[in-house]
Amino acid sequence: MSTVFQLAWRLFKHEAKRGELTIILLAIVLSVGSVLSLSLFSERLQGALTDRSAEFIAADRQLRSRELVDDDWLSKASEFNLNSAYQVSTRSMVFGAKELALADLRAVDANYPLKGSIKVALQAFGVPEATTESPKSGEVWIDSRLFQLVQVELGGNVDIGDASFKITKVLSEIPDAGFSVFNTEPIVLMSTEDLAKTNVTGPGSRVSYKYYFTGETSDLDDYYDWLRPQLNRDVHRWTSIEDDDSAIGRSIARAEQFFLLASLLAIVLAAVSIAVAAQRYSQRHYDPVAIMKTLGAGKSMVQRIYLLQICFITLLGIILGVTAGFILQQVVVMFLADIVEVSLDIWHWRPLAIAIFTGIICSVLFSLYPLLQLFSVPPLRVLRRDINTTLSSKVLQFSTSGIAVFLLMWVYSQDLMISAILFISGIILVVLLLGVTHVLIALGRKLGSGSMGSWTLAWARIRRRAMGNSVQLISFSITIMLLLVVLVMRNDMVEQWRDQLPEGTPNYFVSNVTESQRIGLEDQFAQNNVTGGGFYPVARGRFVAINDEKIRTEVTKEDAEVANEGRQGLGREANLTWGTELQTGNKIVEGEWLDSWQEGEPYPLSIESQIAGRLGVKLGDELTFNIGSEVIKSTVTSLREVNWQTMQPNFYFVLHPKAVENFVPTYITSFSLDESRKAEITSLMAPFASVTLFDVDARINQLREIIDQVSMAVEFILILVLIAGALVLIAQVQASMDERLQELTILRTLGAKGWMIRFSVINEFLIIGFVAGLMAAIANEFSLYMLQTQVFQMEAGLHLEYWVIAPIVGALTVGFLGAIGCWRLLSLNTGELLRKMV
Amino acid sequence: MTIAPAMIETKSIIKKVDTSEGELQILQPISFTVKPGESIAIIGASGSGKSTLLGLLAGLDEVSGGHIMIDGEALHSMDEEQRARLRGEKVGFIFQSFMLVQSLTALENIMLPAEIAGLSEPKKRAQKILEQVGLDHRANHFPNQLSGGEQQRVAIARAFITNPKILFADEPTGNLDSTNSTKVENLLFDLNKKSNTTLVLVTHDHKLAQRCQRQLHMDAGELTEQTKPLKVVSGE
Repeated sequence: MSTVFQLAWRLFKHEAKRGELTIILLAIVLSVGSVLSLSLFSERLQGALTDRSAEFIAADRQLRSRELVDDDWLSKASEFNLNSAYQVSTRSMVFGAKELALADLRAVDANYPLKGSIKVALQAFGVPEATTESPKSGEVWIDSRLFQLVQVELGGNVDIGDASFKITKVLSEIPDAGFSVFNTEPIVLMSTEDLAKTNVTGPGSRVSYKYYFTGETSDLDDYYDWLRPQLNRDVHRWTSIEDDDSAIGRSIARAEQFFLLASLLAIVLAAVSIAVAAQRYSQRHYDPVAIMKTLGAGKSMVQRIYLLQICFITLLGIILGVTAGFILQQVVVMFLADIVEVSLDIWHWRPLAIAIFTGIICSVLFSLYPLLQLFSVPPLRVLRRDINTTLSSKVLQFSTSGIAVFLLMWVYSQDLMISAILFISGIILVVLLLGVTHVLIALGRKLGSGSMGSWTLAWARIRRRAMGNSVQLISFSITIMLLLVVLVMRNDMVEQWRDQLPEGTPNYFVSNVTESQRIGLEDQFAQNNVTGGGFYPVARGRFVAINDEKIRTEVTKEDAEVANEGRQGLGREANLTWGTELQTGNKIVEGEWLDSWQEGEPYPLSIESQIAGRLGVKLGDELTFNIGSEVIKSTVTSLREVNWQTMQPNFYFVLHPKAVENFVPTYITSFSLDESRKAEITSLMAPFASVTLFDVDARINQLREIIDQVSMAVEFILILVLIAGALVLIAQVQASMDERLQELTILRTLGAKGWMIRFSVINEFLIIGFVAGLMAAIANEFSLYMLQTQVFQMEAGLHLEYWVIAPIVGALTVGFLGAIGCWRLLSLNTGELLRKMV
Repeated sequence: MTIAPAMIETKSIIKKVDTSEGELQILQPISFTVKPGESIAIIGASGSGKSTLLGLLAGLDEVSGGHIMIDGEALHSMDEEQRARLRGEKVGFIFQSFMLVQSLTALENIMLPAEIAGLSEPKKRAQKILEQVGLDHRANHFPNQLSGGEQQRVAIARAFITNPKILFADEPTGNLDSTNSTKVENLLFDLNKKSNTTLVLVTHDHKLAQRCQRQLHMDAGELTEQTKPLKVVSGE
């Protein structure tokens, strides 16, 4: 072993044993541990949630086709180790004994569904239960509504095309049914074996095919790579749950972004703690470096010794951090096992790689400037102790740290937007703090003079420290800001999720309600104490022209489904409504609402802003619809933002009542009925046999369940980040406490009373904590605004309460930690204090 | 008769520092020579410039002007790396505040210069010299587990391990009580005599200075006089 290695190892060994590396080791352990536990947990959770969400497409991937695909495609799937299933769907009339109705016919093979389960009930609108079976040949399972519509009983028969089937189950739910209150026929589930004998898929019929695949992600990707060149965009569509833009898809996407954000913040927290610890480590080694140089060690030898030391520390920190992070994550997952379905069996290598990478980058890049300072300590320090280092460049320090943080965030998130927002917020904070530092210096000059009391001492120290070491104030503020960002984001996000499904969210929708039925239903609801939503008139119209120019590129139903699964938007026909009252959850973003229309002006129309964008429609454009044989023309006077997350009927187009006064509409409405009153539904709706009833309870419950799980996971991520933040604060206070040792020792030696020293330190930390909290609250507003509007697509608002809470909690926390640190030092006698200083 | 070359030779060395009020010359031109094996004491009041002079002679700091020759090598024209090499090869140090590496044991502190200089068997050398200073039983103790006198003895042992040609001592007894001071003084001069090392000692202790063969008096950055001791004090 070379002399350099021996020296480095000897120094490392002794310092580790004597606890002198505790702070920097703790910082690395913390960074590696928190990044590993957060990333591993969030990756496992995302896996679990994606798996759960996959139920909504009944597979990991789905291939939708308008044509039957080549058999070879399916056999190839098994070569790629994929499981597959398929479904053929079409619309067909279903004949009961006396009545007939149009139904959504789904013929499935025995493997369907690959994810999720079919749910059946013992009676129409009964409590759904999952089944592992699928309809056998000669059987059909039919939707509750169909029992009403075609007047049949369980065990009875229905005719579909040329074949007759026995009804063996009440179909409550299939995983990939989607959700649409418009124009959705009741589902009939049958075996693919029987489809041919019905003869309903002949020429002219609209048949669509769905092929389902599950397997390892890499196998799925490989298969898609093989399949892609053969796909025709007009015929085929390959989808995964990531493409899902439904309420659930969006909730999960937001949660994933939150996990990413939390992990990013954990990285920044770790970086801050390593920066603080590395600075302290460097300062503690000024003397040894000066001694070594005096004894003949050249600069390169000193560099090699300390770089090796940093390597040893980093390695040990990474080993301990990985162990701690893994244990922590395992404990959290075990604790959460009953609430969130997270598998402990799957090991993800990416978080481990990220954690190790973070440990190395943080240790190397954040130690760089302190090490450069250390290397520049002149040997003359052995004679003149006041000489520290010849390198002093705040610009170099901040720029190396800044670049390191930004690169780390960018590499990790692969999201320039999130990284840039957090980084710019950090810069704003630093600039603010530098300004505040100057104010503190000025204040300190005034307040730090006068008779010697604990506050005077505190201010005097702040003034001195504000000049010499603004890094500490900045690191406190950044830590508090990051904690605030995570906390407020979590609060806002969970609140918005819960707002999506408040108590009393409608769980039944009724459509095809005639004018006379509307009055009857209103009375029925009133008599039975049922809370109903409003009645919206609906007419189906064909959207044919913009400014008299025929639409060439049709925005298809499939497009609408992909953009917003389960909500039929604009297809060959659009659902139009009219009224002068703006619906809840709708917001005018451009133009004026319909109620400002005056007689003699062209009829006004309001269009949903996203569909307007897709169609290239702007204010002032004249849109033409065909409703039946009538032509309706209206001019776009407003663009609306629609909150699709609310469980209520939403419309792309809203017309003025005057424009459609000749039409007799049907109505759509919704109402809420408690789980306990479910049995009443049959009697409640009995007088209105011809209306169409949708039970969306199952869908709402699924949504609630997932949102609860995600919320719970978010809470735990928050707790993990808070713990990480608290540890960083402790490390910072601890580091700064050592810097105060000399002064405390002198004061103590000179006979200053314990309480005065104690209070002066506590007061100093109270002031620092207060300022840091206030600055953090200000910077927090900026980063939250940017994150919520640019990344999370949420509504942003001011969080004024944190302008009060953050400074108070900051002052109390930092003050408390300062008090503990101070207590430890002041419990030593003067002799021990002097010895510690050596 | 041949004249032995000087171990230290200075010619008009000056030191200037930058202050907020401009450049300040803190050392006036100083010239003197020290013969091999000679012991000299630089004495003067606090702030007289004696430690500054020591720093320049030892190559810890750069001169602003003038020449310094150390054992025939031009120290004034060396860069930091060359000065470090020269210190490692030819110079030993003893400081008022001991300047031991706190995270190394007594034995390891003594080994340090030998290892840096790349000498063979540093541990054996260190153990031997640790015995000479009477601290072999404290070999594995860390500096903060030793008394002030013991720490300075370790520092003396460290200074002699490389058999330096020159030993620079900055107030070596300044932090010690009288009993320990005497012990350390005796040890220093004994080892110096045995190894025939040139000794440059900075002190304001006239009693200690008088044990040296020559004294240089410093006042306000100037070398005011060079004297020989009136008598040799035994130090007992």
